[in-house]
Amino acid sequence: MSNRDDMDEGQGRLRSTVNRTDQSGRRVKGRGFGNTKDEEEDRYGGKFDSMEEDETTGPIRSVEGWIVFVTGVHEEATEEIIMDKFNEVGITKNLSLPLDRRTGFVKGYALIEYEKKEQAEKAIKELNGTELMETTIHVDWAFHGKTEGGSRRGNTSNRGGNNRRFTRK
Amino acid sequence: MPTEDFYIRYYVGHKGRFGHEFLEFEFRRDGKLRYANNSHYKQETMIRKEVTVSESVLLELKRIIEESEIIKEDDHNWPEADKIGKQELEIVIGDEHISFNTGKIGSLLDVQESKDPDGLRIFYYLVQDLKCFVFSLITLHFKINPIGNDR
Repeated sequence: MSNRDDMDEGQGRLRSTVNRTDQSGRRVKGRGFGNTKDEEEDRYGGKFDSMEEDETTGPIRSVEGWIVFVTGVHEEATEEIIMDKFNEVGITKNLSLPLDRRTGFVKGYALIEYEKKEQAEKAIKELNGTELMETTIHVDWAFHGKTEGGSRRGNTSNRGGNNRRFTRK
Repeated sequence: MPTEDFYIRYYVGHKGRFGHEFLEFEFRRDGKLRYANNSHYKQETMIRKEVTVSESVLLELKRIIEESEIIKEDDHNWPEADKIGKQELEIVIGDEHISFNTGKIGSLLDVQESKDPDGLRIFYYLVQDLKCFVFSLITLHFKINPIGNDR
């Protein structure tokens, strides 16, 4: 993969934060646009580990199970309330219910691990769109294979970033 | 998949007695999440992980960013990166593109004493929420402690 698009976006060597428009027509703002690349080798070189097979489509397994991603979680929800709901379709192995770091309330999403794919599938099928504490929750897979049934366009030409160490291959 | 352009990258790091130590992650519009953590403390080695997240994950990430209103802020008056360290936050949402740089923030006290406490506070909390978001995903998918203690 060429990183030429990385390079030509970084041309604005502005030290200030004046709003301007880059070639893609975006409004850009911030001191990062004049970054030097001296740390690039440290930060980019090397291989990234992955669980995915190249040809995988659809949901993928995590190391110890299948993870579903829940959104629309009420800010006062508790682990117990979530577990009660999601244990209805299969025994949950793990739950992550992150809090908003400023308010201390639930941030609004949760990750739930099931041992078996069928359990996770059932959670998505039966609990997506249902109510929990009077709000509608959405339940979906957390992870996919690299290509998802052709619904993802493999667009790499118009991403953001003028100094993306990661995106070179 | 969000139809508009979307990209986010966060970096925090410094160069010191253990070399260049840093943590960095990015999400691309196609769902690719990449995570790297390089800590040389106690012979830790580089952790690099990548996985593709679903559209639901991307949409939630976008919601968190939009609700923070970070795009309205400006790093002009934030503390400069220094020997103690540097943070970078780059976000593309639709036709907005920010690339903010600042130094490390030790605590809310640093925020209060800065020239732009309101803006820096938004950055401070958003970064914590983003890290938490990424750690949850990486921890459950790979069963590692993303901070790097158990590898």
